[in-house]
Amino acid sequence: MTDFWKRFSKHRGAVAGLVILFLIVLLAVAAPFLFPKSPWAMVQRPFLPPFENATYFLGTDTMGRDLASGLAHGAYVSLLVGLVSTVVSLLIGIPIGALAGYFGGIVDDVLMRFTELFQSVPSFALAVVLVAIFQPSITSIVVAIAIVSWPPVARLLRGEVMALKSRDFVDAAVLSGQKPLTIIWSQILPNTLSPIIVLASMMVAAAILVESALSFMGLGDANVMSWGYIIGAGRTVIRQAWWVSFFPGLAILLTVLALNLVGEGLNDALNPRLSRKGK
Amino acid sequence: MTRFLAGRLVRAVFILLVITVSNFFLIHAAPGDPAAVMAGEAGDADPQFLEQLRERFGLDKPLYVQLGIYVSHVVRLDLGYSYRQQLPVLDLIMERLPATLLLSLTAFAISLGLGVLAGAMAAARQGRLSDTLISLFALIFYATPLFWLALMAVLLFSIELGWLPGFGYETVGAGYAGFARALDIARHLVLPATTLGLFFMAIYVRMTRASMLEVSQMDFVKTAKAKGLRPRVIQRRHVLRNALLPVVTLAGLQAGQLVGGAVLIETVFAWPGIGRLMFEALSQRDYNLLLGVFIVSAAMVLFFNLITDVLYRFVDPRIRVTS
Amino acid sequence: MRRLLSIPFALALTVSAALADPVSGGKLDLIVQPEPPSVMIGITTNGPALLVGGNIYESLLRYDENLKPMPSLAKSWDISEDGLTYTFHLQDGVKWHDGKPMTSADVMFSVEDFLMKLQPRHRNLMSHVAKVEAPDDHTVVFTLKEPFEAFIRGFAFYTMPIVPKHIYEGTDYQTNPANEKPIGTGPYKFAEWKRGSYIKLVKNEDYYLPGKPYIDELYYHVIPDAASRAVAYETGQVSVLPGGSVENFDIPRLSKLDNTCTTEKGWEYFAPLSWLWLNNRKPPMDNVKFRQAVMFALDRNFAKDVLWNGYGKVATGPISSKLPFYDDVGPSYPHDPAKAKALLKEMGYDGKPLKLLPLPYGETWQRWAEAVKQNLAEVGIPVEIESTDVAGWNQKTSQWDYDIAFTYLYQNGDPAIGVDRNYKSSQIAKGNPFNNVEGYSNPEVDKLFDEAAVAFPAAKRQELYDKVQVKLREDVPVAWLLELGFPTTYRCNVENLISTASGLPNSLRDAWIKK
Repeated sequence: MTDFWKRFSKHRGAVAGLVILFLIVLLAVAAPFLFPKSPWAMVQRPFLPPFENATYFLGTDTMGRDLASGLAHGAYVSLLVGLVSTVVSLLIGIPIGALAGYFGGIVDDVLMRFTELFQSVPSFALAVVLVAIFQPSITSIVVAIAIVSWPPVARLLRGEVMALKSRDFVDAAVLSGQKPLTIIWSQILPNTLSPIIVLASMMVAAAILVESALSFMGLGDANVMSWGYIIGAGRTVIRQAWWVSFFPGLAILLTVLALNLVGEGLNDALNPRLSRKGK
Repeated sequence: MTRFLAGRLVRAVFILLVITVSNFFLIHAAPGDPAAVMAGEAGDADPQFLEQLRERFGLDKPLYVQLGIYVSHVVRLDLGYSYRQQLPVLDLIMERLPATLLLSLTAFAISLGLGVLAGAMAAARQGRLSDTLISLFALIFYATPLFWLALMAVLLFSIELGWLPGFGYETVGAGYAGFARALDIARHLVLPATTLGLFFMAIYVRMTRASMLEVSQMDFVKTAKAKGLRPRVIQRRHVLRNALLPVVTLAGLQAGQLVGGAVLIETVFAWPGIGRLMFEALSQRDYNLLLGVFIVSAAMVLFFNLITDVLYRFVDPRIRVTS
Repeated sequence: MRRLLSIPFALALTVSAALADPVSGGKLDLIVQPEPPSVMIGITTNGPALLVGGNIYESLLRYDENLKPMPSLAKSWDISEDGLTYTFHLQDGVKWHDGKPMTSADVMFSVEDFLMKLQPRHRNLMSHVAKVEAPDDHTVVFTLKEPFEAFIRGFAFYTMPIVPKHIYEGTDYQTNPANEKPIGTGPYKFAEWKRGSYIKLVKNEDYYLPGKPYIDELYYHVIPDAASRAVAYETGQVSVLPGGSVENFDIPRLSKLDNTCTTEKGWEYFAPLSWLWLNNRKPPMDNVKFRQAVMFALDRNFAKDVLWNGYGKVATGPISSKLPFYDDVGPSYPHDPAKAKALLKEMGYDGKPLKLLPLPYGETWQRWAEAVKQNLAEVGIPVEIESTDVAGWNQKTSQWDYDIAFTYLYQNGDPAIGVDRNYKSSQIAKGNPFNNVEGYSNPEVDKLFDEAAVAFPAAKRQELYDKVQVKLREDVPVAWLLELGFPTTYRCNVENLISTASGLPNSLRDAWIKK
């Protein structure tokens, strides 16, 4: 563990990313206390510019809603959607990749063709279609993001499992009569954890981007204030109120940046042999 | 090679067919149908009106019959008629395709060219300020929401500074021809192509840099150094060439997304391309048109995957192309 | 038969046109949004199709801003004293765009065959008609089954466009190639359609009114993004922004630009009225107190001032104030959360959460749903917004699968044409989002509406409509929101741009561009 930290903290960017991420998580968790009113409440005159009113320091949107409150509550939504959809796509991708890698042959062929199927349709377009068809809601958004983002997980897992399969400890388990599923679960998967964690951190970042893009296109859940939604809603008034689109975009940028930096740090720390050179 | 190609072709056709069938059901799972949408827009309807529309579109038949009819047309390369626009789907797609290809290919060229260049530069100056700066910018562009970047670009370059048009494909009704028109389109192309290109550029920069650094640790590079070759020659001839492998893979992936990947940018910049056509078809439940767009863009992906595999052979002769 | 009405042709010139002498020439660039599927308005009748097609096809009549009939293809008309016979005298020298003469045979074909097959609104109107005859080439006579005073307001260009018999007779109307290159009698001829880009119409040189139209070319630009449409106006690419083509937030800014005028005129015939469907079949919406509470909870002035930028008018009841027979009678519902809370308490509302279906027509409507959600939350009605697209919205409302849903409908010139369809119990039928979707059923209201439709003359109708307005305002079957205002923004040097109650689609024959 100390080794891990040593390697992680060597990556200055990763540490910075972790700090930013921590602050954002803090903001998301503290939102209900910092801004007890609903972010949808119309509290001031519409189009209040930022830094003019101490209470509403980021200004208000087209309907006089507090932008700062929207950002704080939006942090929660964005992080949640990012996390949950990543978990769901891991739940789809890991079994498929593991089975394909372990059994090979026809199983591998079928599963990989199946994976290819999902990669043959432009992923954002597919997400748009899925959300539109199942009608926008948090659930449909999470599911759509998961459906378009699991194939890389499956490919990664397949590669890892194929490499691990020929190792001695797997052979030993096979000889001791363990069932294939048990072997995958208890022998192989724990050894694939590091690359999965690294990939997952990047996937959360990507999911946040996809969610914001969907909301921007009007395919968000209208009951939750997400960052993408605020930008989308602010887009039509960009000439009158640049700040409505500007700040949430900055928030997404920072969050995604932080997640990617952390991902790189994790990569350096967990996979020293694959780590990027030159740091 | 021929066997390889034939095998891949069969596989591609199979995938296309599965995509067609599964998307057919997917799209029909959406609430409402084209008749309801058209009736809704008319602001007035009675059951007779809806029945007429459904009969005309063939939507009164059972779903499996509709599927049968559709697939039997598709295998004859007939994508059918758009319900709404009453024109052949293929014509509509072909009409929009040039705009999308122009946009995506320009973005592709920008991202690949600049990305590899900047990545190689960063790797060569590893650890120095320019390396840090390039890496930092790449990271930032990678993390920026595309649509937001696009909006900010419009705000700055189009609204504030007034340098470039903020939307559209060309100046409508200006009556430009020849070179003047090309110039006009090029001006409209700058913002969307750049914003679309930046994201992928960031990936290329990071990938090229990482890959070059990795390759430069390899034995054959050390050998070349030991032979006393000049660093610049080593970089160009040995390192870059070998480092390009993952870049080629990614380029293949990106190229595949040329058709369908620009939905967002086309929306922000009102670019009359395939992505927007898809979005319109979706909200109008224009089943045939939507399926047509899907089939064409999937075919594009499969085509470029194949090209990538073939390219691999040239970049890296060690890899045998097998089916 | 005594002549009740016969308007001399010269009166058709409106006052503003008489101020200066119109000059010919120039081109006019407009926005059409979204791109219509077709501009053959006998078949396709959505807004954008009408905007373009209304210049290609004409009906027998046009209407001024008070909904008084004006000549169009009919130069004059008589209504018999018993209100049963309507005789129309057609203009002389009318030619189709392909050069063939237009006669009463074309009118007969359109009215009895073409539109009966394709136009639901026309079918409805014709249910009052016993027979149509054409005694000669220039006369058409409608005989009604019973007096129907609204009939004279039923000849809008988008209900009864006259189509060419020689082109459509004996063909499949829906697939006739002429639908792509429409042939009408209107002031402008179809010239070119570049999909995704623009539709071009050119002046009809053989138009039957000498000197008209004045403008040489019309370009309808397709620009799919609202912000981009605003830019197109600012940069001068477009000189007319029809109502609804830019976001409301942009209109105050645009209207401050040089040489820019805005007008709310030209929507008197459509008279768009917005309301919330309250599903009367389900509790708590089945309780009149709950429905009244909703009315008191809504801050409709906020919606008008902030979301619609002050355009439009707070609705008082079921009939738009632009329509004949409107009266401000019965209870009114100012924004009064305390009263709403009291009513909810009185009825014992349990705080059951409800679903709100917004209208998927862009930003303003989305924001409006959010505002309504807040309004209702303030008085203790928790609401969840269900997002959907146009197809989903249609499906849900027409299948009655909603609690509260936004809508707005055109009232089409007369309560008997465009209002009673939303309240009569005979209009409760699944599968149609434009009838009595809320499921309100009141025999008293049914009777009043039925009598009012066929009462004769107009004064009698007024009496009955007053009664029904009071009753409905007590019962609140739906929560009326605003009489919507869709201001047209245009360059002030375009003169006489809007001269009819149907606005741009129906006015360009008289418009001209000042040099």
